[in-house]
Amino acid sequence: MHNSSLRGAICGVLATPLLAAPGSAAAGNDDIDELRRMLERMKTQYEEQIDALEARLAAAEREASDSARRSEAAAERAEQAARQAAAESRPMTAPTVIPATASGTAGGTASGRGGAFGAVTSGTAFNPQISAILDGNYYHDDLGGEGSTLVGEAFQPGLNRLHDHDHGHAEAGGDDHGHSHGAADNGFNFREAELTFSATVDPYFDAALYLSVDGEGSVELEEAYFQTRALPYGLRVKGGKFLSDFGYANRQHPHQWDFVDQNLPYLNLLGVHGLQDVGLQLTWLPELPVYTLLGVEALQGDQEIFGATLGGDDQADLGLDDTDDGPRLFTAFAKVAPEIGDNHALQIGVSYAHATQQQLVQEHTHAHAHDDHDDHDDDHGHDDDHGHDDDHHQEPDIHRAGLDGDAGLWGLDLVYKYDGGGAYGKGDFKLQTEYLRSTKDMTIRSSAHPEQIGSGRKFVTDGLYAQALYGFAPKWKAGLRYDVLGLTNEIEGRDDFGSSDRWTVDVTWSLSEFSQLRAQYARSDILVAENDREQFDAFYLQFLMSLGSHGAHAF
Amino acid sequence: MRQVLLLVAGLLAATQAAALDVVATSPSMGALVRAVAGDRADVTVLAGPERDLHAMQVKPSMIRAMRGADLVVAIGAELEIGWLPAVSASAANPRILPGQPGYFEAAAQVPLLEAGGAADRGRGDVHPVGNPHVDMDPVRMATVAGALADRLALLDAGGASAYRANAAAFRDAVEAKLEGWQSRVASAAGVVLYHRDAIYLLERLGVPLLGTIEPIPGVPPTGSQLKTLAGKLAGKRGVIIYAPYQSPKGPKKLADDLGWPVEQLPLSPPSGADGNGYLSHIDRWVAAVATGS
Repeated sequence: MHNSSLRGAICGVLATPLLAAPGSAAAGNDDIDELRRMLERMKTQYEEQIDALEARLAAAEREASDSARRSEAAAERAEQAARQAAAESRPMTAPTVIPATASGTAGGTASGRGGAFGAVTSGTAFNPQISAILDGNYYHDDLGGEGSTLVGEAFQPGLNRLHDHDHGHAEAGGDDHGHSHGAADNGFNFREAELTFSATVDPYFDAALYLSVDGEGSVELEEAYFQTRALPYGLRVKGGKFLSDFGYANRQHPHQWDFVDQNLPYLNLLGVHGLQDVGLQLTWLPELPVYTLLGVEALQGDQEIFGATLGGDDQADLGLDDTDDGPRLFTAFAKVAPEIGDNHALQIGVSYAHATQQQLVQEHTHAHAHDDHDDHDDDHGHDDDHGHDDDHHQEPDIHRAGLDGDAGLWGLDLVYKYDGGGAYGKGDFKLQTEYLRSTKDMTIRSSAHPEQIGSGRKFVTDGLYAQALYGFAPKWKAGLRYDVLGLTNEIEGRDDFGSSDRWTVDVTWSLSEFSQLRAQYARSDILVAENDREQFDAFYLQFLMSLGSHGAHAF
Repeated sequence: MRQVLLLVAGLLAATQAAALDVVATSPSMGALVRAVAGDRADVTVLAGPERDLHAMQVKPSMIRAMRGADLVVAIGAELEIGWLPAVSASAANPRILPGQPGYFEAAAQVPLLEAGGAADRGRGDVHPVGNPHVDMDPVRMATVAGALADRLALLDAGGASAYRANAAAFRDAVEAKLEGWQSRVASAAGVVLYHRDAIYLLERLGVPLLGTIEPIPGVPPTGSQLKTLAGKLAGKRGVIIYAPYQSPKGPKKLADDLGWPVEQLPLSPPSGADGNGYLSHIDRWVAAVATGS
């Protein structure tokens, strides 16, 4: 099918210059005759069409006068009925008859609304379409508000580990200065106002812009991309800054989530923004009996966690290379959706992402005047000051080790939706689950322990979430989610650190298509550092308000 | 060279002989395509008659259906806005994007009721471009059939005369039934709908809309709103009609209070219906409206 149409297109292209040059030696008499015959045929076809149109026009004009007469009777009755009803319930009355049969009117109105090929929409009056989503909450946890940060900083060995004297837990991300996107304080929080602009640029491109303004008023560019409209063979190209199509949840904006906060695997393996980067995407939707989407992306690689590199000073201090030229992050994904009946939808996806450069800095402390510790290990040497005398307790040495390498991330996703057909989403069901596995293949480039320089460290952390939503009443949905990080959470062949997990329930009330109120409770058990756990309860009340043009969401 | 030409001609012939791949958003539009195109089109209908076209969500199977489509036939006027734009954008098929000959919207072919209302969502999910449910008016559908025949002829010139003859036959069939429908409801007192979705039919039949169960579009009624409505309608005659996806609670309660007949009717004929199926669907509605006398 594809081959033949491809061949057709190629033949067409090849034939064009030949057709345009009648004197061409390649065109024999037979061919010229054949061309003439084709031309003749097309001419007659068009003449026939024009004749038919003229006949139709004449008929329609006759019809119009006939039906005008006919609809007069109906109009009279309708007016009478309207007058009757108006006496008591004016606003509920069916509007007065507008004769619809005159074909002249149809053409006139259609052209007034963007032409007969167009879509009747209030959106075309605004170019681009603009909408805003307001997202705020009341939050409370029993750690004084720290819980919403901790869920994004579950312990995994393959992160930058900077020693923190005041608090036992490791800090995620070397350049993360308590950036509060998504994190909440106890009490009222305004998470973000998301502004969306989208439009068709010209016949060749669509474009969209998503800006997020947080509670302090700082603006962040979430997405700004173009996407092709007119490529053949089911191909599309997207370019700019965008949310990767890796996995399923990655491309969703926070207001599309079924829970207030992001799941643990995404939050900890990809960061609060997910795989959001600058680059290019190519997708192919082949014409198959089963929905199949294949895609690849090349991204710059400016990430917070996966494929993150260190700042220039750290790189110099730690003897690490400068950040390579981009693109440094590549993804490939496939999504398949078997047909399983009108009221059901199922999509299964597999994704892989590869970061060509990953850098880590890991710190650990030694008490100054320590005696020999041959058994210590620079990856988790936190317990060096065991059993020392008090007079030995001085300023600790902070040892920094620099590692670099590359990183890979596998993702498997499954989404199932059932359309219950009830009023306002009653009876609808959705199951969504994903598994992510991150592997960082690193080499120690610098260390206070020279014997370790050059040795390898492989960090593996995986995670899983599964969530189900059910429309238990019109406009009401209940959700249950289990998420876990670190089913495997190890430095391969050396240490395994254990997992963090969480149970979440929520109830969402969609008062209309444009407003949602949500209550959510979660019980978290987070590994905040080696052998250090925090168990806490967290509660959210959230509002989501959608202003402006009516959006459409992807599957 | 000759082979190339023959190949091109052969491909042209092959594409013209193959049936058009048409995707209809609703069974009513599917029925109209079958009425006009007959065997010359393979029709895929995306939503069953019991589904709310406004509340549907994107499914991968819709994208697959539109990937190879020659023509998409929608009701339009933002009725399918929650999913159709996302589906057509994802389908990677430039032929069926709005503005192309492969995109056909019924609402763009006929005048709309309730157009030009305030764009104020305090009044619910309003559509300032007009009420989109044009498929409930058989006369407008006859006009749409004519426009659809022209569109099909543009995509498949070989079938032009057949399309136009079929559209004319459909128009004649509607006209033949119109007076019967109107006289059947001559003594109908009026109808209460759940949503203002069948107003095109009521307007055509000249039967007044006495009220809607939902106070404003897209917002279900409270108990006291239902009571107010019942109070306003007390002592009158009429019938309550609601769609399968609308909550039966309000309509049934109101029917109990008023002693009126109540009926659940889909807004579309069955998914496999053709032109006659569409006319039978209107027959059912006319019969239901007539019970309110």
